[in-house]
Amino acid sequence: MSDNPSKNTAQDWPYLEIHQSRTHEPTPYEYKLAATLEDVFTKDGHALEDVVRGLNARKVHAPDGAAWTEESFAAEMHRLGA
Amino acid sequence: MNAVNLTAEHIFATGLRDQWHPVVPSSFVAPGAMRKVTVLGEQWLLFRRSDGTLSMLADRCPHRGAPLSLGKHLGDRVACWYHGVEVESDGTVASVPGLPGCNLEGKKLVRSLPVREVAGAVLAYFGTEQQPQPSELTLPDPLVDPDVDAFLCYAEWDVPWRYAVENLLDPMHGAFLHHDSHTMFDGDTTAKFRIRETDRGYFFEKTDQRGVNFDWVELCRTGVDWVDLSIPYPPSAGPGGAFGIVGMVRPVDEERCAVFFWRYRKVQGWQRDTWRFLYKTLIEERHWDVLEQDRVMLEAMPSDADQQENLYQHDLGVVRLRRMYKSAAEEQAGA
Repeated sequence: MSDNPSKNTAQDWPYLEIHQSRTHEPTPYEYKLAATLEDVFTKDGHALEDVVRGLNARKVHAPDGAAWTEESFAAEMHRLGA
Repeated sequence: MNAVNLTAEHIFATGLRDQWHPVVPSSFVAPGAMRKVTVLGEQWLLFRRSDGTLSMLADRCPHRGAPLSLGKHLGDRVACWYHGVEVESDGTVASVPGLPGCNLEGKKLVRSLPVREVAGAVLAYFGTEQQPQPSELTLPDPLVDPDVDAFLCYAEWDVPWRYAVENLLDPMHGAFLHHDSHTMFDGDTTAKFRIRETDRGYFFEKTDQRGVNFDWVELCRTGVDWVDLSIPYPPSAGPGGAFGIVGMVRPVDEERCAVFFWRYRKVQGWQRDTWRFLYKTLIEERHWDVLEQDRVMLEAMPSDADQQENLYQHDLGVVRLRRMYKSAAEEQAGA
């Protein structure tokens, strides 16, 4: 609730917002992980084992520095993609 | 304004009545906030109580016609800025502070519309005096399928609403306008199309190619008008196959519209999470670039574009659409 009416209804035409799904600007880690995932999907395959192997082969590790496992990858995607 | 005093031309230009239309994304009206919006050439106020209850009122004080959207949100009601007249969320005048006991009090003098929130968007029923009760609304199946995940993309275009819908009933533009895009670079640049009737609308589809470009579209009229279509993803988007689009267009006025595109994919588990991560990080911006190609082209179309055309076989879907909307507009105007 606002005492300033303009704040309640403020809107500029047109609304043209590129990013509508994000809650934050991706971190450098997230950008790198996403780009590497696209490379893996393109060259290595779409199965979970392909993805984990592809990420580890490219030395793009989990945030704690460990190699990915199927479980840790699924958990991280759930955190980032929920 | 009701259909009794609307002409068929006005209805055709500003949108059909007696049906549901999308209004704005739900997030545009926070709890305890209000927002003005122009729909079908009329001014409306979306008003959400702090408990989340949403209502949609004509943006017009019943006293002197001042816009309620300039007024104050008082929790369960809106107070007009001009003389303080207070209106409840169902359109009833709760109080006339300047003249307590005034006969406006207790009367439902402000038009309110039935609203529903669906997949992150507000839908409202724009009835007429002849048909004020909302018609049955069957939601787009991809938006209610628990195995399908969707992101809503909303945008506002300086484009007549019909041009935006026609663009969707014209799949062939994908191979040209969107040739330089991440999803529609492939496929033949010649095609034959057919119309296939369904019990809720019609398909307009290529006869000789499927699953390569934007090869088919289904127009669905289920209480709200929407289209369904499917576009292949490149392998970089990971498992899950093509993504679909449920598209709706909200007429703003004769010159403008708002577009709603739910990009959806039938994915679960880690595949769903990974698509969502890639979408937010990289894919959404590429989708946006494609949508901008449509906006740039449609906004550049001359206002008499549909008056001086030379159509060919690929335009059957558009011709069918216009005929349908024109006859519906004439029917609603009681011509």
